[in-house]
Amino acid sequence: MGGFSALVLTTLLSLGAFAAAKGSEGKGRYYFRQTCKDCHTKGAKGGEVTPLTKTMAQWSSYFVKGRHTSAEPLAKLMNEQQLLDIQTFLVKHAADSLQPETCGK
Amino acid sequence: MIRKLDPNPKNPKSRGMLCARGNAGLLQVYDPKRIKKPLIRAGARGEGKWREVSWDEAFDYTANKLKEIKLKHGPQGVLWSSTEAFAEVFFKNLGLAFGSPNIVRHPTLCLASVNLAYSVTFGAVPSFDLQNANYVIMAGANRFESFITPDTMDLIDSTMNRKTRLVYLDPRFTVTAAKADEWYPIKPGSDLAFILALVHVIIAEGRHDKEFVKTYCQGFDQLAEHVKKYSPEWAGNETEIAAANIVRIAREFSDAAPRALFYSGRRSSWYRNDFQMRRAQAILNAIVGNWDKQGGVVPNSKIALGEFLYLPWDDPEAPRIDEMDKNFPLAAKSDGAYLKLRENVLAANPYPVKGWMICKQDPLSALPDQSKTMRMVEQMDFIATIDIQMSDTAWYADVVLPESTYLERQDPVEVLAGIWPVVVMRQPVVKPVHDTKPCLDIVQGIAKRLDLGMYFDYTIDQWNEAAVKELPLDAPMDYLRNHGVYTPPGGPNYGATLNPDHRFVTQSGKIEIFSDRLKEFGHDPLPVYQPPEQPPAGSFRMLVGRKAYFTHANSSSNPWLLDFAPENFLWINPKSASHAGIADGELVEVSSSAGSAKLRARLTEHIRPDCVSMLHGFGKRSQWLTRAYNRGGNDAAVLENGWDGVSGNAAMHETFVKVRKA
Repeated sequence: MGGFSALVLTTLLSLGAFAAAKGSEGKGRYYFRQTCKDCHTKGAKGGEVTPLTKTMAQWSSYFVKGRHTSAEPLAKLMNEQQLLDIQTFLVKHAADSLQPETCGK
Repeated sequence: MIRKLDPNPKNPKSRGMLCARGNAGLLQVYDPKRIKKPLIRAGARGEGKWREVSWDEAFDYTANKLKEIKLKHGPQGVLWSSTEAFAEVFFKNLGLAFGSPNIVRHPTLCLASVNLAYSVTFGAVPSFDLQNANYVIMAGANRFESFITPDTMDLIDSTMNRKTRLVYLDPRFTVTAAKADEWYPIKPGSDLAFILALVHVIIAEGRHDKEFVKTYCQGFDQLAEHVKKYSPEWAGNETEIAAANIVRIAREFSDAAPRALFYSGRRSSWYRNDFQMRRAQAILNAIVGNWDKQGGVVPNSKIALGEFLYLPWDDPEAPRIDEMDKNFPLAAKSDGAYLKLRENVLAANPYPVKGWMICKQDPLSALPDQSKTMRMVEQMDFIATIDIQMSDTAWYADVVLPESTYLERQDPVEVLAGIWPVVVMRQPVVKPVHDTKPCLDIVQGIAKRLDLGMYFDYTIDQWNEAAVKELPLDAPMDYLRNHGVYTPPGGPNYGATLNPDHRFVTQSGKIEIFSDRLKEFGHDPLPVYQPPEQPPAGSFRMLVGRKAYFTHANSSSNPWLLDFAPENFLWINPKSASHAGIADGELVEVSSSAGSAKLRARLTEHIRPDCVSMLHGFGKRSQWLTRAYNRGGNDAAVLENGWDGVSGNAAMHETFVKVRKA
């Protein structure tokens, strides 16, 4: 899976998919699953983190303030656009967001 | 050859029971009028002339039409409609990868108002622990007739053994009414008055769970003030349920709590105030403290499945055509609002939609006001459907892509949610009998020709392996192949959220009796009762319903199931029928401003004189549905357009009709 992910990332970068200035919810979800979930699942070293872990305001300030202090700095793990995408995804699905549960998928 | 289907005894959701539809499922495979090969329309739409083609030709044709529309109108010019299915995710993802924001699912024809009401109140869509409740109130949710599962059988058993007291409200005397301890033929549309009066009595008499309310809820004081005006005497006039009974039920309900619940039901597409009525139910459940307790209203437990990491696509650039952000900002955007969407497609507002991809859905039968849906069909440049049978909508399509039935295909692994969730994996028991494909193969065939193949570059086995890899099993795929189901050890869990530090997934983090967010978006922060409009003299309110013999409008051509109900009838009270000179069994025409249907009358005291009712799923247009074609009446042709203003849920009990001899 790791090799596949790296290949995917290279492909995307070469397609120039990150030209847009605003964050992409869909891509943020992908990067969150691809990178963050390595450490942030139940039982892993970072503990479980989901969008519901924080409120919209908390997720917004988390990225502004550049938290993640107990581990590698986020800027080393991903580029600016990728972090913006992740932030967009997390804020849109935060604990107090406007996204209710739904039936099925 | 499949000769008989048996339930999986290891699956706690079925517990060795197979319902009528489960037994009759094998006829899907051997129906002589199945779609046996991909079809391209050869005559006019609806003429029934088809050309059998290869899959390659069907994929090429479909992809070329989609490309043409994309070039002319942008990716938003194609609408993607689907309904709940294990493989729905693949179809939905094709629409998203194509770049369309217009993905519309079934909830606004079903239970969107319940989902939203409980999400706003509790931050979750819960389950109802009927198996362990001692006191249950059901209003209109005809569980014993329309939704037969082992849980239903448990409740019937405990009701008949006097373990559970069941209070049932319905303008019709249904099977559920027959088994209930008390049945009230409530005045249609007044359910909210009944619930608000229950809350009034419980608070006025100090019967609410004070500790629970103080610890977990916000807005109780505002509620107490708000319901002062909703006395049982007032509600008695509104509902035609005597005030003394309302008081007694309120007392019994609160005495039985926390093993007491107001059951929401499934299809909650009834009235234009449906969201607020469901909110009142949620609030009633909250104040008696039945949340997350045995016999109460319980948040679903989670089994986290892994996800195959497929490539992400760009977010769509165009806004949704149903303008969810403007019209229903609190509702689930990814589901859409079907009826508002249809209005805007017909008006090309804010842009034209000229292509319609449909998967396992029959909008011509499912949406009220069939004539409007037909106009939507007519204005499309291209329609393709993926289905196992020639539904009414498939009958009017340009391309029909036959999906293998559930007995012939490998489906994605899925979690069946609940208080005690399970993981299931449905595997093929026979090879496809005809030239059909599973949904993922169909999606991949189209995607490849749209240059979107990279987003679907995986097999169903890879997808499933990623899904199950986190399960606490040594070889999860082998386990699921052998058992078909994984059940977490232990049993139902209660009380995980009953910790004063628990943050509910609401705006405030508390259970929201008073909702600031509703107020912020211009809705009533507490449910406010508006008396429903009543039918004028000589007219009736149309009620629609389901029987568990049929899956919506999909299985009424199945011969085994049709034995139970060979056609639908118009239920009409003998007093009302005699005014119109209608005799039992006589053919009648039932008509509204939307359209009409012809079916035979059944004179019965089992319905109020101000209502008539018919079963969903009959009066089909597709001639390949040989046993349902033109048999009985189609409710979709009669029901008028209308929806709940907060959730966008269809309002299917707001149509007034006239009935006359045909």
